[in-house]
Amino acid sequence: MSSELTIAMPKGRIFEEAYQMLIEAGFKLPEEVEMSRKLMIEIPEENIRFILAKPMDVPVYVEHGVADIGIAGKDVLMEQQRNVHELLDLKISKCHIASAGLPNTQMDEIAPRIATKYPNIAMNYYKGIGEQVEIIELNGSIELAPMIGLADRIVDIVSTGRTLRENGLVEYEHIADVSSRLIANPVSYRMKNERIQEIVSRLKKIVK
Amino acid sequence: MSSIKKFEKPLGMRDTFPRIYEKMERARQIGRQVFRSRGFDFIETPTLEYYDTVGKASAISDSFLFKLVDSQGNTLVLRPDMTTPITRVATSKLLKEKIPLRLAYSANVFRAQQMEGGRPAEFGQMGIEIIGDKTVFADAEVIITAVQLMKELGIESFKLTIGHAGVLHDILDDYTDHDYQREILRNLLVERNYVGFEEAVHEFDLPATKANALLEFINEATNLSSIEDMEKYVRKNDGIEYMKQLSKLIDAYDLSQYVSFDFTLSSHMSYYTGMLFEVFASGSGFPLGNGGRYDGLLHLFGSDVGATGFSIRIDRLLEVLPKEEVEEETVCILFDDEDFIKALDLASTLREQGARVTVQSKKGLMNKEAFTKLFSRVVDLSQEEAQ
Repeated sequence: MSSELTIAMPKGRIFEEAYQMLIEAGFKLPEEVEMSRKLMIEIPEENIRFILAKPMDVPVYVEHGVADIGIAGKDVLMEQQRNVHELLDLKISKCHIASAGLPNTQMDEIAPRIATKYPNIAMNYYKGIGEQVEIIELNGSIELAPMIGLADRIVDIVSTGRTLRENGLVEYEHIADVSSRLIANPVSYRMKNERIQEIVSRLKKIVK
Repeated sequence: MSSIKKFEKPLGMRDTFPRIYEKMERARQIGRQVFRSRGFDFIETPTLEYYDTVGKASAISDSFLFKLVDSQGNTLVLRPDMTTPITRVATSKLLKEKIPLRLAYSANVFRAQQMEGGRPAEFGQMGIEIIGDKTVFADAEVIITAVQLMKELGIESFKLTIGHAGVLHDILDDYTDHDYQREILRNLLVERNYVGFEEAVHEFDLPATKANALLEFINEATNLSSIEDMEKYVRKNDGIEYMKQLSKLIDAYDLSQYVSFDFTLSSHMSYYTGMLFEVFASGSGFPLGNGGRYDGLLHLFGSDVGATGFSIRIDRLLEVLPKEEVEEETVCILFDDEDFIKALDLASTLREQGARVTVQSKKGLMNKEAFTKLFSRVVDLSQEEAQ
């Protein structure tokens, strides 16, 4: 029997979608998983162990090798720039990263301020278009920042655009497309290559 | 800025306590034996080097260098790797005396401090360099030495993944229209971002034959069954021929079970020109070490004789080394003031028999029981006499 494979999964909606994909790909997993407060789920039939983590933490577990593979959003991967292999675009939880602000406004000329959960992505984007900005890092409710005058723009995830509209904001620039990716630890990718390649090729067939 | 507490060390620095020290020392000794028995000579270079020479030539990117300024105003670096200083010594001096050179080292190297745990700013490295031999046999010797080292260290589950920088460069060059496209693709492979690679190929708007060839290449190269499968992607066959030869040598020496080939393997180190490889072992989430042919680095130092080598990180080695209990007799001789000479005599006798002997004055002890608990045998001279 091959050694156990540990898969780091983001809690919540992405977990359910990704879990369904694995079932579709023919992995023998129980139809219903009890998503109580458990952080670890053992699947002895497949010799797989799931660990459930905050989406932002999945690449951390994978980079340090305590999880062999994981499912992480492209936004998190772009923000953290961790040393993990990006193997497959699962094309689930699609959205994009954009800048947004109050309608018909210009950025402050002297010190434009950007509020965001993604300081690195925001910094790199504005650097790339030749604009020096000041970053204000927030942890949630980013839309508040332009409304109450904390920042000129926000950089955040947009899926339907509803949150922006409801808060009177408009999208300015499309920065990057985001979807969930299958990632692997560099050592696991070599030492458990056959198992990981098999998961990749089975998932590849059902990616829409 | 919080004030520094008494117990704190600078960020990224570690103490080594006796148990870990012994474990590291055993690994270093095994390395020393393996390297020396294969004819490699150990050397040492200074901890500090000039930024303008070693710092700039090193493969470690600028932001990871630990920089200082000397009293003349020159920028110095704490050596970020050993290959670059050894190349400096070899090209400026040693190569005039002997060629090819076989050199070995075991030393600490330094990287800029990082906030996250598991990224020490100072760590040990040991490795070898063969300088002045461009043949495939030198590369084979490096790989065989790496495998032998892993075996002698008692690591059961390990793997060397071998690629070729030249072959990859030619393939990417042939199937792209511009140099910048080739570099984007190469960098995506350094990050091992296969998703990004496919996306970039689609975005470049290449002729369909080229785009398809790249996508097929990436697919086939990551599931490689034999080196011959790569031949259809290259026009010049010399790199592939070289790898076939190398593979044959590895097979002949019966090491193929430890080795796999991956032609997408790429390094941020641009001075790797030919064969390159990484060493992986179960137990650590990070690669143990890497190596390859770095003729490009010698060019930077004005020499064109070619060089190849590899190095292993000692701190990561500790995570994968098998647990071994070393059977060692430790004796504690407790003595009263008047028995000091007697204690020393007994100690020498026992040491000759191979024991580690501690002589301890009873007066100097605060808690006899706690102290003596740590020894495999305790001799109390005053009690000996009573018997």
